Amino acid sequence: MKHLAKWGLTAPAMTAVVLFLLVPVIITIAATFGEHKGMFSPYVAFFTSGFRRTVLYRTIEVALMTTAISLVVGFIAAYVIAQMPGRTKSLMIIAAVFPLLTGVVVRSFAWLIILGKNGILNTMLLSVGVISEPFSMLYTEGSVIVAMVYLFVPLMILTLVGVLEGIPQDLIQAATSLGATPAATFRQVILPLATPGLIIGAVLVFTGSFTSYATPQLLGGEKQMMMGTFLYQRAMVTFDWVGASTIAAIMVVVTIGIVAIMSRIARRLNPMAV
Amino acid sequence: MTVSLTIQSISAHYGKTPVLQDLSLSVAAGELVSLLGSSGCGKTTTLRLVAGFLQPTSGAIRLGDRDLTTLPAHARDIGLVFQNYALFPHLTVLENVAFGLKQRRIAAQERRQKAAAMLERVGLSGLGDRLPAALSGGQKQRVALARALVIEPPLLMFDEPLSNLDAKLRIDMRVEIRQLQRVNGTTSLYVTHDQEEAFSISDRVAIMNAGRIMQLDTPEVLYRKPANAFVARFVGFENLLSLRTIARDGALVTAEGAGGAKITLSQDDFGLIPDDFILGCRADGLSVQQEGNGLPAVLGTRTYLGRAYQYQCTTPAGDIVANGALSEPMAAGSAAVLVPAPEQCCILTPEL
Amino acid sequence: MARSVHPALIAFTACVFLFLLAPLVIIIGSAFSDTSYLTFPPQGLTLHWFWNIFEIEAFRTTAITSLELALLGTALSLLIGIPAAYAISRYRVELPSWLSTLFVLPILVPEIVFGFSLMKSVTIGLGLPIFPSLLIGHALLVLPYSVRVVSASLASFDFSIEEAAISLGCPPLKTFLTVVLPNIRAGVIAAFILAFITSINDVSVSVFLTGPGISTLPIQILAHMEQFFDPTIASVSVLLMLVTVAVMAVVEATLGLTFLTK
Repeated sequence: MKHLAKWGLTAPAMTAVVLFLLVPVIITIAATFGEHKGMFSPYVAFFTSGFRRTVLYRTIEVALMTTAISLVVGFIAAYVIAQMPGRTKSLMIIAAVFPLLTGVVVRSFAWLIILGKNGILNTMLLSVGVISEPFSMLYTEGSVIVAMVYLFVPLMILTLVGVLEGIPQDLIQAATSLGATPAATFRQVILPLATPGLIIGAVLVFTGSFTSYATPQLLGGEKQMMMGTFLYQRAMVTFDWVGASTIAAIMVVVTIGIVAIMSRIARRLNPMAV
Repeated sequence: MTVSLTIQSISAHYGKTPVLQDLSLSVAAGELVSLLGSSGCGKTTTLRLVAGFLQPTSGAIRLGDRDLTTLPAHARDIGLVFQNYALFPHLTVLENVAFGLKQRRIAAQERRQKAAAMLERVGLSGLGDRLPAALSGGQKQRVALARALVIEPPLLMFDEPLSNLDAKLRIDMRVEIRQLQRVNGTTSLYVTHDQEEAFSISDRVAIMNAGRIMQLDTPEVLYRKPANAFVARFVGFENLLSLRTIARDGALVTAEGAGGAKITLSQDDFGLIPDDFILGCRADGLSVQQEGNGLPAVLGTRTYLGRAYQYQCTTPAGDIVANGALSEPMAAGSAAVLVPAPEQCCILTPEL
Repeated sequence: MARSVHPALIAFTACVFLFLLAPLVIIIGSAFSDTSYLTFPPQGLTLHWFWNIFEIEAFRTTAITSLELALLGTALSLLIGIPAAYAISRYRVELPSWLSTLFVLPILVPEIVFGFSLMKSVTIGLGLPIFPSLLIGHALLVLPYSVRVVSASLASFDFSIEEAAISLGCPPLKTFLTVVLPNIRAGVIAAFILAFITSINDVSVSVFLTGPGISTLPIQILAHMEQFFDPTIASVSVLLMLVTVAVMAVVEATLGLTFLTK
């Protein structure tokens, strides 16, 4: 009876995930292997195409840059937040998290206003005299990266504040009492203990930016195609469904592969794991 | 090098709430003083103030001739032993012990040697390459001890270091700590809520309550001659009777308490007895007799303590707990006389 | 009682917060601009662009669709997610460990791949109409919140009160509804809010599943932007932000905002 109960309770959710997520995705990936031109022909076609390779490398590059910048920016902000007294800390966390709740369209679109030809940045640079005429900052890799960093820094801050709070206070006090300056404490105690969490945060941001659609679409457009926008274009514009499925398959492999590998590394590096 | 610790009129607040009020304390060079009290009494706050994790709102702290009050925590050169050991989980035992030496820029080779030597002194040689997670509670505490000792600090502070260990280990460890402290001669401040622990290892004990020191004395004095009602109850005086002197005859003082209960005490035995006073008696210090010079009482419930019988007694002055000999069990309801024994009693002046 | 932090770090963090909040301020400002193009600072103030939202039918209908999807999708995910969370927490030892991973799959699998696959297999493959397809997509997208957040709440739930109720004669379903549910109220509310916000703002899943006549607000905003780059977009964004603020006010009232920091 209890056996029935526990499986019965999970059955609807399990069925839903398997039926509407697992199976469709597997079908999508399987579709890439049925080509009469050879089992791996879509992948060969992908990797021999200069354009497609560029899209992939660009996506990886943007994702790496976004992750690196978000890590540094987010860690510093998280560290400062973690040192604040209770009420201030809560307020700062809410302020950092609020953008997260406003949605990807709003947050990406803001950068269109800022970086556009008539945008704020151009206006400011013009008025200060740094440039003599407005230049286009949009539809470059840089604009995509800026918008992505804007998208993911709140997530990084939230994750890292949690990580830093997980470091017991008395360890910091012990290090201080033994003569470690704040900088030494950070280097020798906080950083090593925060590393597993940093890895997790980095993985979240990397996979999020790697698979992003709305932001590259708005700020990169056709000129800066990334895997997400490329998939959409193949599927809904050129109706090349095998091509789209190939892109999808590559995205799944990269995402799940990185999550699996880095999680293992993070767990191995975690000295506080029981 | 042994120095004295002087805490002068320290006050501390958490926000608006005062936690310590005008607290002063001196620990002589080489002395081990315990701060004893229940949670919330301010003992840990005092320790954190000396360590530099908390700033006082007024007062000064001096170690030898150094003024610590304005010094940042990492520059105070104090050895701290924490309740939860606070061992760095990502460093080996040896690296943990050597941590303080590393901050003092001691060369790696020398660090390792000193750390290894200290590990041997605390009985953990051979465990240098282990990670803290692989150690037992007692072993962790020894590593924490070694880590604090190896930097040869002028002051050692212990924040309830044994409360996470089981009873037997606690007793063994406190003896070891005391021995190590004695051999090194390091001035030490020890925080605990365990009275037996404080009394067994300290040169002097400060009993604290609500941010103030209620009495600072040797364990013997605290135990036998508490200075006030709080300390008396703390060290186990079960009975406190308010009495007023109604007659004096040479050394004999007759006093009356609530309900007209009368008792006669000799100043030769009990020391000076003021006009208004509180007589503190341990249950062991009131022997239950059928007749004699003492407080008349009616016996109530009797419990067996193993070494004696304990009687809940009712007297005109209130309820009293007294112990009687195993050889003379008395029945509930019988009348008896409770005779105070001077060595187990104390005379206190009532607080205003 | 802030612990000592180097002023350079604090200055940097102040810049980070400026970076995070300034763009939102810019959007709010430009929503009021009395110009036909987006500009900041706003030139002249008007509410015209806010009224414009309601005049554009596409925004009206997609806003309603988004709301319906968010409410129904969240409700659905809670309906199947809460029992699953309960089972995982209660019978943790007896259930396989891959089960929790299964319920987190919608987060692991790229949203865009999920949307594409769902469209291929369900909308086209099964011929399911657009709205049900969207609903399935949204419900699954937010399922991890229903399961994970409620599980976290159940982790601190003392199951012995459930046993006490049963021993006093209360049947299992009634016990769940009257004893368990009220005590994990906070977790359920948090899950609902996170799921709702995720659904309302979703693009990557919806972009494949929307079709003629049925679209979601974020997708509509993207479409509108391609044709008219006017302050209407900013005012719609402001409205979406207001929804978020309203939601956070509800959180503050019921749980206290610090709950979100967990």
